[in-house]
Amino acid sequence: MSQPRRLRVALAGNPNAGKSTVFNALTGSHQHVGNWPGKTVEKKEGSFRYRDLWVDVIDLPGTYSLSAYSPEERIAQEFITQEHPDVVVNVVDASNLERNLYLTAQLLEIGVPLIIVLNMIDVAEQLGYEIDVERFSQLLGVPVIPAVASKGQGLEALQASLYQAAQDPAQFAPPRALVQYEHEMERSVRQLTEALQALPDLQGYQPRWLAVKLIEGDAQAHALVAAAPGGEQVLALLEKVLDKLRRTYGEDVDVVLADARYGFVRGLIRQVLTLPKQPPHTLSDRIDQIVTNRWLGIPLFLFLMYLMFNLVQRVSAPYMDWIDSLFSGPVSHWALVALQALHAPDWLASLVVDGAIAGVGSVLVFVPSLMVMFFALAFMEDSGYLARAAFVMDRMMGFLGLNGRAFIPMILGFGCNVPAVYATRTIENRGARILTGLLIPFMSCSARLPVYVVFGMAFFGARAGLVVWALYLIGIATASLAGWILARWVFPEVHQSVFVLELPRYRLPTLQGLWLHTWEHTSEFVRKAGTVILGISVLLWFLLNLPWGVSDPKESYFGQVSGALAPVFEPAGFGTWQATGALISGFVAKEVVISTMSQVYVGEQQTTRFETSTAEPPSLKDDVRTAVVGFLKATRDAGKAFLDVLTPGVSLFPQDEGVRRQTALSRALRDAFTPLSAFAFLVYVLLYTPCAATIAAQTQEYGWRWAAFSVALGLSTAWVLAVAVYQVGRLLGWG
Amino acid sequence: MTSTPNMLMPLTMLPPGQVGRIVQIHAGQRLKQRLMGMGLAPGNTVRVLRDNGGPLLLAVGESRIALGRGMAHKILVQAVSDPIPRGEFVS
Repeated sequence: MSQPRRLRVALAGNPNAGKSTVFNALTGSHQHVGNWPGKTVEKKEGSFRYRDLWVDVIDLPGTYSLSAYSPEERIAQEFITQEHPDVVVNVVDASNLERNLYLTAQLLEIGVPLIIVLNMIDVAEQLGYEIDVERFSQLLGVPVIPAVASKGQGLEALQASLYQAAQDPAQFAPPRALVQYEHEMERSVRQLTEALQALPDLQGYQPRWLAVKLIEGDAQAHALVAAAPGGEQVLALLEKVLDKLRRTYGEDVDVVLADARYGFVRGLIRQVLTLPKQPPHTLSDRIDQIVTNRWLGIPLFLFLMYLMFNLVQRVSAPYMDWIDSLFSGPVSHWALVALQALHAPDWLASLVVDGAIAGVGSVLVFVPSLMVMFFALAFMEDSGYLARAAFVMDRMMGFLGLNGRAFIPMILGFGCNVPAVYATRTIENRGARILTGLLIPFMSCSARLPVYVVFGMAFFGARAGLVVWALYLIGIATASLAGWILARWVFPEVHQSVFVLELPRYRLPTLQGLWLHTWEHTSEFVRKAGTVILGISVLLWFLLNLPWGVSDPKESYFGQVSGALAPVFEPAGFGTWQATGALISGFVAKEVVISTMSQVYVGEQQTTRFETSTAEPPSLKDDVRTAVVGFLKATRDAGKAFLDVLTPGVSLFPQDEGVRRQTALSRALRDAFTPLSAFAFLVYVLLYTPCAATIAAQTQEYGWRWAAFSVALGLSTAWVLAVAVYQVGRLLGWG
Repeated sequence: MTSTPNMLMPLTMLPPGQVGRIVQIHAGQRLKQRLMGMGLAPGNTVRVLRDNGGPLLLAVGESRIALGRGMAHKILVQAVSDPIPRGEFVS
């Protein structure tokens, strides 16, 4: 009869305290990831059922304290004080009590019903810490639950405790003002508390908490009081109180408050924690002695990057080929068969197969490398290594006006710019994140390599390898220069931003955590970036096939637009409609450049697959078998590649067998380009917008304005350098 | 250690291994709040674990924190004579 009961729970805690692990363990796959309204901060919600109770869990951003100073902290504070969750579960790292309990002290002040989870209690025990959990709970008047979330220990107790809270959440509200301030400060806090109690509009807030926040100078608390009727008097009183406090403590009023909280925490720790006689030399510290070593740190990091780069490239490659063949083969084929059965007109069949299906295929083809990348990245982050890498690389990245955290996304850019853009999420400063995202496109991704190879073999013969290396270096040099300039002129605050980062204790990541992370981000890419790519593919199809009934690509809108834009590239030496058209289609993906070129130069008439498909259709059974066998083969190859990568002697530039066959194209290219204009063309390909997926990723991460800025930056930089190469080359008589 | 116990010095000058107590932080309110939340608060003790010339690697209680050199220069500490690494618990 009765409605199923629901309990709303917010998870709060420090970064690295294992909050996500608790969240994943509680909610399993029942979770939803979005963004907090108007913010780029990730919001995770989930739910689970315990007996007859549904519990909705909101994972607040990980914060070290609660204030209105960073978006994460503001979100956490606003949610707890204004959305009134029934209970807040504070996840605390049991092996690092002092720092973690600072946030707890603030939560106690808010007065919200609280349950404390002492996570990673096993680590604390290994270190020889003895925590008196019962005394802990008594002193604070709220439940304290020891747990090892990664192993599921303590979850049952937490669920039982939440079940109990559902009867009457107020029983877990901390009983009294636990944090006491120094004489003069305490008097001021009480004075303001009394004044605030008189305001009926603020009954939903703990007056003592509001009083402390007002003294701390918290803008959110200030706005709240200012909006309430009668608030002006309180604010007038605040001014008087602050005046007096400043006379006593100087300008550091907030320090006095923090000091009192740490005093409270230390007092608490003294009563509940027994330390071992001999301070332990932890494994984590021993690993750090090697990893952060002045001489070993950077080589070790570069080696790990090399491993990761190879994993992303090579383990995913067989799957990418498999998906590619699946879409160009059976999927297209059966779509045609279906359309034929429905008597669809030719143009519609072409739109579906050459436009939509090819578009979807070009989205899904990114999925394997994205999954491997997200998995490897999650592994490095969850294990604690990523923070060390940032520490080690900070000095080198300082040159670009970026701090150490930017290095990993940049390196990933050599594999594929799309995951690299997403990887900038690990950079906490927004300006630095955007700046890194703007530089990533200059990192030559693997999709550009085939273009270099085709031109390299047509024009540079034995020196092709050298040309390819030069292009990679030009990309790095351009990124360095652009970073140096942008950091000084567009993002001055990034240049001055302070590098402060916690290096969490090393731990073995859980498979569930890694998988959830991988799945979340990959599916997000498919949903968001996928729509954009699909749209552009369909648009390109229309441009190639309009005006109605056009047969020569030169006469199509695509050809006409290319022809109109061609003069722009005259100074760079490749102002033909074909080259321009290839560049335009390269906007969608660099993979398309070569195929467009063979279409427009060699004049390969696109045999409508409609006709060929009627010749001798393989049965559906055959196709399914081929697909499954293909997948198994891809898995075997990926496994081989994985082992290969872990053994030395791998080549960074696997020669693409497919391109060697394009001799007709080589001949055509030699007619259309000189070696100099070919090199200028390659420089352009290297530096302009990598692909639609990158634009989509940038839009998603930084907003469309920055994505547009990135496109403009790419187009202009590419043009300037291509022209410079061509003109200087001509002056030197190489043209 | 040769440093006299009462002398104030920037964190960058604290010899690696030596425990120091934070006395003052010269930073804007926003940054100061952030540092204090991470344990870098006046009254707490800190030890330099590694100084490669770039950012410092600090032990603050049980936490390990990487701090840019520029910021570390603006944190004033006092060397604590008792070099117990986790002095912060034996206040």
